[in-house]
Amino acid sequence: MSRMLRIELRRSAALGAALVLLLTGGIMCYAAPQRWSSSWMALAMIEREYLVLILPLALAAGAWQGRRESRNGLAELVRSTPRPRPQQVMPILGALGIAVAGGYLAVLAVAAPRIAGTARYLPAAAFAVVAVGVLAVVAAAWLGLAAGRLWPSVAAGPVLALAGLGWLMGFPGIAHGQEWLGALFSPMYGMSQYSDYETVSGRLSAAQAVWLVALVVGGYVLHVAQSRRARAASLLPVALGVAVAIAVMPHDRYLPRAIDRVAQELVCTTDAPKVCVARVHSTLLPEVTPRARQALALLARLPRPPAEAHEDTTTWGRDLPEPRPDPAGIALMTITVDDRGHLASPADLVPQTVTRVLGNQGRCPDGLSWSALRAATYWLVGTEPPAEPGFDDDGEWNDHVGQLWRSLRELPEADALARVTAVREGALRCADLDEMLSGK
Amino acid sequence: MRWLTLYLRSRRVPVALATAVGGMVVMWVLGSAVSDGGPGVKMVVLTVLLLVVVLTATLSGPDEELDRTAARPWPPRRVSHLLAALAVVAGLPFLTHLTGISFGPAGPVIRDAAGLLGLAALSAPLLGAGRAWFVPLGWTLAAAVYPAAGHLLGEILTWQSQAADSTPAAVTAAVLAGSGLIAYASAGPARRTPAEAAL
Repeated sequence: MSRMLRIELRRSAALGAALVLLLTGGIMCYAAPQRWSSSWMALAMIEREYLVLILPLALAAGAWQGRRESRNGLAELVRSTPRPRPQQVMPILGALGIAVAGGYLAVLAVAAPRIAGTARYLPAAAFAVVAVGVLAVVAAAWLGLAAGRLWPSVAAGPVLALAGLGWLMGFPGIAHGQEWLGALFSPMYGMSQYSDYETVSGRLSAAQAVWLVALVVGGYVLHVAQSRRARAASLLPVALGVAVAIAVMPHDRYLPRAIDRVAQELVCTTDAPKVCVARVHSTLLPEVTPRARQALALLARLPRPPAEAHEDTTTWGRDLPEPRPDPAGIALMTITVDDRGHLASPADLVPQTVTRVLGNQGRCPDGLSWSALRAATYWLVGTEPPAEPGFDDDGEWNDHVGQLWRSLRELPEADALARVTAVREGALRCADLDEMLSGK
Repeated sequence: MRWLTLYLRSRRVPVALATAVGGMVVMWVLGSAVSDGGPGVKMVVLTVLLLVVVLTATLSGPDEELDRTAARPWPPRRVSHLLAALAVVAGLPFLTHLTGISFGPAGPVIRDAAGLLGLAALSAPLLGAGRAWFVPLGWTLAAAVYPAAGHLLGEILTWQSQAADSTPAAVTAAVLAGSGLIAYASAGPARRTPAEAAL
């Protein structure tokens, strides 16, 4: 048996399929590394999103392999061998299954070295996410194999691939806004992270695993089947799996984005002043700490300065939470990860943290004067505000910020500090910060 | 006429045409069921891709070696085969304009049809007609799902799903169409033994 398996691995489309999956997944991953550089979970989830390309290719590879016997005119000869059909097809099922599963995992293997030094937190849910992806490609390959045998045409592969893509992308739309249904039956749906703390709920993974295992069994039965009745029987496990999966899944019209509370927990430095980041970013702590402390030192000139710097781990759901002031005594930082897994634009962390403390969340009905906040921030930082890109007003706005900053510099230190303090207090009341800064 | 009938039968053109029309009908039904304002760009690109991969199977007969022993010049016949395929691939979506649900403006459809057929024709001498569908399929799936617009490289790499006025996409399609036509007309599909030839 294992000798036949080895022969099939060498002589069938298996190796080619694994290579195609690896190439596709690898190219997609490295085309946009910032999408998965933040954590292992992000990598596991992004590969699930790339199932949109990987799964159709697995289907096509299966269909290509499935028509081998009729392509070579051997179908009748193979049928005449006395071996029972399950034994006959096991080697090719095994070879193709191993190949596509290996191809799917190999994508992770080529992506992993890039973030191996920076990603540490590895939740069990990540393994579940990968396992569901592996089940999906094996199910696709086996279904393709069965379909290719039943419809031995050159067109079977590409047509199946298109149908698979249409299913993955179209089904959530067909599900008519029933998000639970779309997420359940389209294993790529909802797999791009909005925040680094996002995860996939165990229940969703379990439900997906149930129907995908059923689909694997259905594909096996369909490929083994020799009579019409046996082929019809392959629908049974699939129907059963789908029913169980629907029963397991909570029927939420709007599927809330699952947040991993453990990933979100703060990990802090042991020495004061305390600097904390979320567990998922724990390896960034050495990069964040000096800059956070620098910001705390700058802010120490204000009355009631923050004593600690924490990562802002707020997550946004479908509804915005009520605006409320940031916790007193804590400077909140927004940590973003660059495409190599390190702290993105580390030089900006100090002014960003200072601005956050001065402007609080900046969520006022009419907004806050961003130019005043920026000038006040850079007065505390002590450098000239760099030009902010992204305005096409011939640098007018940047000039305005520069002027505000210079007028603060020209004031005696105590007066300027009083104005910056007034800006900080005004932001809490949603007052006009330009007035605060000009001392009116 | 008799030659043409035999040729079309040896290339399994009737089956391919029936599959193409069937595929077009399915896409049309899906397009009218799913979307309100006609099918989107993705759907049009995938429809053209479906038609191209179905017709790619007709690029070779059961025995290429035997074909080549014929005392007839193949290049003009191959060129006409490709042009006829282009007419089918671009024509079927055009027919949907007669109904309420129209598949795409004509410009991008013709560009994609020509480019993808060229790509398939370019792959046929290298991989054989039985495998040539793989290159247009793999490339177009990625380009349809993740289109990149706004920079040159992105527009070239995802030319299939660009807007009608994208020059890089049009140039890429034209290059693929031209080189595919020349390669297929001069070299023909890869030779394989009858047992390995695509069915």
